[in-house]
Amino acid sequence: MNPRTFHEGSSTDTEKRESFLNRVAESLKRPRRTEPVRRPDWKHTVHLDTLADRTPEQLVEILKEQCFFIHTQVIESTPALLQSTLDDLIDGYGGGPLIRSGDPRFTEYGLSFSGDFVWSEQAGRQENIRRAEAANIALVFADYTLAESGTVVLLSRPDQGRALHFLPAHYIAVIERKSIVPRSTQAMTDLNRRIESGEDIGSCINMISGPSNSADIEMQLVVGVHGPLRATYVLI
Amino acid sequence: MSMQTDKRDFDTRTADGIGDAFMRGAVGSAQDSLKTRRLTAATSLGDWERWRELGQQIRQHTLENLDYYLEQMADNVERRGGHVYFARTKEEASGYIRDVVQSKQATKVVKSKSMVTEEIEMNQVLMKAGCEVIESDLGEYILQEDDWDPPSHIVAPALHKNREQIRDVFASKLSYKGDETPEHLAGFARKVLREKFLEAEIGITGCNFAVANMGAINLVTNEGNGDLTAALPKTHIAVMGMERIVPTLEEMEVLDNLLCRSAVGQKLTSYITVMGPREEGESDGPEEFHLVIVDNGRSEILAGEFWEALQCIRCGACLNVCPVYRHIGGHAYGSIYPGPIGAVITPLLGGYDEYKELPYASSLCGACTDVCPVKIPLHEQLILHRQNIVSQGRTGAIDRAQMKAAGKLLSSPRMFRSTLRLANPMTKFMSKHGRVVRGPAPLSGWIGVRDMPQPVKERDGFRTWYENRTKKEGGRLP
Amino acid sequence: MKVSIFSTCLVDLMFPDVGKAMVEVLERLGCETDFPASQVCCGQPTYNSGYLEESKQAMINMMRAFEHSDYVVGPSGSCIAMFHEYPHIFKGDPQWEMKAIALKEKSYEFTQFIVRVLGVSDVGARLEGSATYHRSCHMSRLLGETETPFLLLENVDGLQLEPLKNSDNCCGFGGTFSVKMPEISEQMVDEKSACIAETGAEYLISADMGCLMNIGGRMSRTGKPIKIMHIAEVLNHASPANIRPSAAKGGAFL
Repeated sequence: MNPRTFHEGSSTDTEKRESFLNRVAESLKRPRRTEPVRRPDWKHTVHLDTLADRTPEQLVEILKEQCFFIHTQVIESTPALLQSTLDDLIDGYGGGPLIRSGDPRFTEYGLSFSGDFVWSEQAGRQENIRRAEAANIALVFADYTLAESGTVVLLSRPDQGRALHFLPAHYIAVIERKSIVPRSTQAMTDLNRRIESGEDIGSCINMISGPSNSADIEMQLVVGVHGPLRATYVLI
Repeated sequence: MSMQTDKRDFDTRTADGIGDAFMRGAVGSAQDSLKTRRLTAATSLGDWERWRELGQQIRQHTLENLDYYLEQMADNVERRGGHVYFARTKEEASGYIRDVVQSKQATKVVKSKSMVTEEIEMNQVLMKAGCEVIESDLGEYILQEDDWDPPSHIVAPALHKNREQIRDVFASKLSYKGDETPEHLAGFARKVLREKFLEAEIGITGCNFAVANMGAINLVTNEGNGDLTAALPKTHIAVMGMERIVPTLEEMEVLDNLLCRSAVGQKLTSYITVMGPREEGESDGPEEFHLVIVDNGRSEILAGEFWEALQCIRCGACLNVCPVYRHIGGHAYGSIYPGPIGAVITPLLGGYDEYKELPYASSLCGACTDVCPVKIPLHEQLILHRQNIVSQGRTGAIDRAQMKAAGKLLSSPRMFRSTLRLANPMTKFMSKHGRVVRGPAPLSGWIGVRDMPQPVKERDGFRTWYENRTKKEGGRLP
Repeated sequence: MKVSIFSTCLVDLMFPDVGKAMVEVLERLGCETDFPASQVCCGQPTYNSGYLEESKQAMINMMRAFEHSDYVVGPSGSCIAMFHEYPHIFKGDPQWEMKAIALKEKSYEFTQFIVRVLGVSDVGARLEGSATYHRSCHMSRLLGETETPFLLLENVDGLQLEPLKNSDNCCGFGGTFSVKMPEISEQMVDEKSACIAETGAEYLISADMGCLMNIGGRMSRTGKPIKIMHIAEVLNHASPANIRPSAAKGGAFL
């Protein structure tokens, strides 16, 4: 194969794809489906119903309880106290280097941190990665929060890269109460609605539930493998 | 590694497994804890059976429209600037990947756990082309450092190894100086692998589900290695079996929930990510994204009576409840796909010549079928395999003769009655104190380790008793 | 209520007392029994080995044998589960599909019939001692019956039930599996025996003679003392004072 064909669809690539897909249709014993396929009405709505009737207060309780199981600390704060809560937390983790996203909510809540590095398009690939790797702490704002699983959902953007969530040793996510939904169903439904309406949501959706972990050695849980060793959510 | 992990025959592999006391202890306790965790996670949803039916419906809808969704996926990946390669065979798949790697003049490859890359023998092909390939999943990395010891479980690949063995591997191969505490071993691997991530030119991942209307792939992990693999290197190659696709995020969400709960008893694993090629303005993520869609025998499965096996989401729950897997371990299956689902798909992908024993490695207890989150009728498919093996004349002459005779006997009331009459006198010479103590194969396998009562005399049998009392009562014989 | 007895091959060959106990319990509960003499075997040994055509002949014989029965009751969850597979096996067969469905719908495992058809959960049995119960895979998973044996055993006077660790694991019988893969089967039955021995129970009770023959045979060979009883024998174990034959007159449908 000629590697140059990777960059422009050559006729052999098209033929290959066609014969592959024709073969699939043949296996299904029918002609190729070319008209748009509509998803059927699913026979159950269990995913939509689970926890759907919970009040916002109940969801916070569910979130806090779940975080206990996923080795994640939850700190309740307020917009007014947020700066000092985060300062204390950063101190507790042994201070910087701190890397954070360029989320506009940092400005909205009037937050600032001395000596922090902000992930940005201008910094470029190498510098962003280098700073993230050197960082002790990553600080981000959740785009959605899933109560049931204790998950923060974050979308990649020029001011919020992928490696930001994985390279630093400690991970802090600020959760606005209004971002809390019952479970993954609501977040994925909303994101799919945004995608289908043509919105560009970025190249990567991260659903993060606590610190990284592994049970590959004798099924014993080890918290902190490739990603962060500890995770904390700050609830406002 | 190819799909085949051991060329020795099934009996030899099984004997090895049964003789490995450590492995059996590890598998047994892993099963016990995973079973409980899965059950807790499943029952906490309240309506698990409906979740399963929903999962099954989603998988079946997708398979029934697979050509459409694959085309939609490919169009969307290309629209986002990625490349899609449709590989009919494993050679095409691994050859394409090698060509991409060579076109970048790259030699440093980091990958996250993926069964399909094992199936297409990608690592061998890349290493032969001069690349360093690093498995970044902790379990896979341990196996790699132990001279590519094969995985024994599709979710926990190093399940068969204990901490001392792992410490010894790290000590001899990587000059590890620490003890056998899992935290220390994992911490050491973290340091070594962090360097590998940062210097890698190519990242290769599998794909839990492709999301067709986005042109993105979904990875489900706990360690975060899949994410680093797809974030740091400038080129990301994702490899997927062609059936691993969903229409949208909404269906992915349902299947991810089923997967996490079934595999490890978690509500969601630590990292669930949906990713595609880097976009304008983003600074990390792959500048070049390749998706390799692999058939390698799947279209034949789709066309045939085993098509439901393609519903599989590789959660491993069927391994975790299988009493046969429990005692023989993953290596005995001789395939990267062990356990009940392995006994179903390995012969489909690799043929009966090599794998015709696997469908018999089941007591048909049905635990696998019961636990499968997408309702694959696993034990029924094992029977279906046996029917094929019989109809293709692949069973032995003795087995065939015995089964034909059994078929005649079991359908003939007259012959059965004579058997009841003769069973006791005919087993007289084989019995002692009312127990059968010797006999020809296949009986010998049974009585070698168990006592077996001698058949009763006809006059003491149930039928005689029933007939006599009916006569006594003046009742009518049916 | 008219009940046709399905004795099963193992009872016919080796365990007549189980069949007798089943008949006596059913009759005491007010059932009228008959025994269609042309019955042989449900066809499972050949079916599970992949010999479909041979099995179908055995299955057809059973459909014929029980064609005129109102209810078919057998002392084995596994054999009754096989009956319940017939509609699947004869799907699309113009001659036999309807008959397969008819047989499935009137077939019950012994304890299932007592509880779900007769509406009885206390048969007035008495057995002094401690016991543990082995749930057979085919009865609990394929037939889907996990409750009725326990309901009945709870009401056996004097019987103390001990919980069994890993009770959902197969005992390693699996019919032809135990002769085809004896080494693996041996490991499975050894683990099961160890769990049973751990309970300290005097009796091991089950609703499937295949499992009992397997576990009992292994425990006997390895010198672990335990008494094996089919649940029909337990339910038939009664002092005369405890017999309440009127308990189920008329029956009830659950």
